[in-house]
Amino acid sequence: MPMLKIHYSLESDLKKDIVDIPAPDEINIRVSNLVLKTGKGKKIAKGELIAEHPSRFGGAYHAPVSGKVTKVNYHHITIKSDGTDNCVEPVDLSSLETGKELLRTLQGLGVDVAPLSSASRLLIINGLNPEPGISVTEQLLRVELKTIEAGLEMARRFIAPEQTVLAVSAGSPYRLDGAEIKQIKPKYPNSLDALVAKKVTGKEFPEETRIMSVVDLYRIGKIVLSGLPITDTTITVGDTNYHIPLGTPIRHLVEYLGLEVSSGDKVVLGGPFRGEAVYSLSEGVKKADHGLFVVKAGSFPAIEDATCINCGECVLNCPARIQANLISRYAEFEMFDHAVRHGLHSCLECGLCSFNCTARRPLLQYIRFAKTQLMNQGAGEQEQG
Amino acid sequence: MTPPVIKAMSDVAVRLTVSPAPHWRSKRTVEKMMMCHLLALVPAMAMAIYMFGIRAASLAGIAGAVAVVTEAVCLKLQNRDINVDNYSALYEGVLFAFLLPAGAPWWLAAIGAVVTIALGRTVFGGFGCNPVCAPLVAWAFCRLSWPQAMDIDFNTAQFAMNYPLDQLKHFGVDSLYQFDYKNLFYGFQLGGIGSSQVAALLVGGIFLIATGWIRIFIPLSFLIGVAGTATLFWGIDPSVYADPLFHILTGSTVFAAFFLAPDVASSPVGKIPQILFGLIAGIMVVIIRVYGIYPDGVPFAIMIANLLTPLLDRVRPKPFGGR
Repeated sequence: MPMLKIHYSLESDLKKDIVDIPAPDEINIRVSNLVLKTGKGKKIAKGELIAEHPSRFGGAYHAPVSGKVTKVNYHHITIKSDGTDNCVEPVDLSSLETGKELLRTLQGLGVDVAPLSSASRLLIINGLNPEPGISVTEQLLRVELKTIEAGLEMARRFIAPEQTVLAVSAGSPYRLDGAEIKQIKPKYPNSLDALVAKKVTGKEFPEETRIMSVVDLYRIGKIVLSGLPITDTTITVGDTNYHIPLGTPIRHLVEYLGLEVSSGDKVVLGGPFRGEAVYSLSEGVKKADHGLFVVKAGSFPAIEDATCINCGECVLNCPARIQANLISRYAEFEMFDHAVRHGLHSCLECGLCSFNCTARRPLLQYIRFAKTQLMNQGAGEQEQG
Repeated sequence: MTPPVIKAMSDVAVRLTVSPAPHWRSKRTVEKMMMCHLLALVPAMAMAIYMFGIRAASLAGIAGAVAVVTEAVCLKLQNRDINVDNYSALYEGVLFAFLLPAGAPWWLAAIGAVVTIALGRTVFGGFGCNPVCAPLVAWAFCRLSWPQAMDIDFNTAQFAMNYPLDQLKHFGVDSLYQFDYKNLFYGFQLGGIGSSQVAALLVGGIFLIATGWIRIFIPLSFLIGVAGTATLFWGIDPSVYADPLFHILTGSTVFAAFFLAPDVASSPVGKIPQILFGLIAGIMVVIIRVYGIYPDGVPFAIMIANLLTPLLDRVRPKPFGGR
């Protein structure tokens, strides 16, 4: 089984084009922590607003199909497709000046505009595939260059960078108009934004530097060219990339692509290192998902609630040079202040510590737990103050 | 407010496994690690049987078996899962036996194995938590309690050769003409049953490094520490101090470099701490051999370095982007 051969390589050997997956009859969009803008029983057209992001710059969410909202609960909204092509009118972006109004329009069309909200001296475009097994980035660079360049042009209007750098895997032919090239060894975790920024600038968390991914630019470009909101995502399954409507249940993909999933397997949305194992095949794909992996039961030793044996593999493999062994223990016993002292906030969440752990401890999980708990404590304090 | 847990879409037909990221994992496990370590000891064991007879195997067998039983009893008493099938107790029992002279009585192997597990590991929290390399705790315990039974020269009197380090200690460098370095390297020398099999241990050690179960930092810096310090003394006066190669080929230097010093629990975790740890242990070996009363300085040198581990682990780089 080729999938079980573990390697850190981010290279991709792309020959095929991106395949469109037709929308299913029913889609499930996750809306937990979003501000819902529709309700049960409402009829909606494709591209109509269904939810807004609560943060200041988060992009909005739109219906990927035309149809009727059949179910709404805390986590999901279900839309039943009516099979028609009933779509919202495109927005004319070319008439808008660069400024607040354009920014809000982009946000309203689904772009996370935080990177565009202020100017910066240096703009880095992360053109590396995010994780092993995902080839979306290079696939887009290969076949959607026009759209990406349209997105880049729009991004530059806001960021006004003096210098634009495209980071690509060493030896790859990908180029962008008006961007310098920085070649980076295509080996995970080199694709993480913080490490790409370091490779380009030589500094850790450099100032006056904005980093955007090729996928970000592609989405902006698509909006610029079409005037329609984002209603799909690009996902790698095996060696092929697919345009998939947001909220498409995994079950639909499994059936359409003929994947084999049986009880006990893990189905992972996102990457094999940072992704999320879903609990149900009805779960819909999300904007940030760029990979779908089926991990067969028994392929890997299971994670255990075991004690640390101090072998040091987590520390020796950490790109952020933190003491993952100690942080995980402090998190386990809820001693979060100590975890911070050992570098918790420098963690880039690449997952290599858990990946290499001999005792099979869920190190990344402990780190994320500690971060969340600290964030919640901070939020609680602010409310009281 | 904790959001309500709604598993509205949970599925009965296909029950998926859910677990935290990462979903791909290296296939490292404690069982595999210990199995590979045991495998790495096989050449030395074979050479030990060839050199000292079947008695070497019986000592290792007794120590290994008693260690496993002790571990099981200790875990049972603590109401913990009995996971002796991870081979860690077996491995450390055998490690202890490797330090014994061939003529050691069987009860010594048994007591040593009990001490390895009970005093070396369990009292500190079990496998992975011991601050000092467990077989060495037992070695020190037995060496001080039954000095005669642990004495290498005394227990290998039937062999028509001498224990190199005793010769050096008591008769000086002039007595070392009797040792052919090639023989020392191949393991034709007196010493602990397994710990004197230099070539075979080197094969095992290189296997462990090549398969990634131990990192090269500790073994290499340890050997550099031994060689460097020995060279220093040797350079001062070659008629009083033995040459560096002699120090590496005798006693349990190579055994310690690949098997005792890199013990996961008692060695540091970072790269720089590991290098410092190896250097300190290596330097201590020669200093104890030159000034101490014990001919082989290796066990005490490692134990001293073990005690410095928590301190050494404070030598750490600034975290990414850290101030």
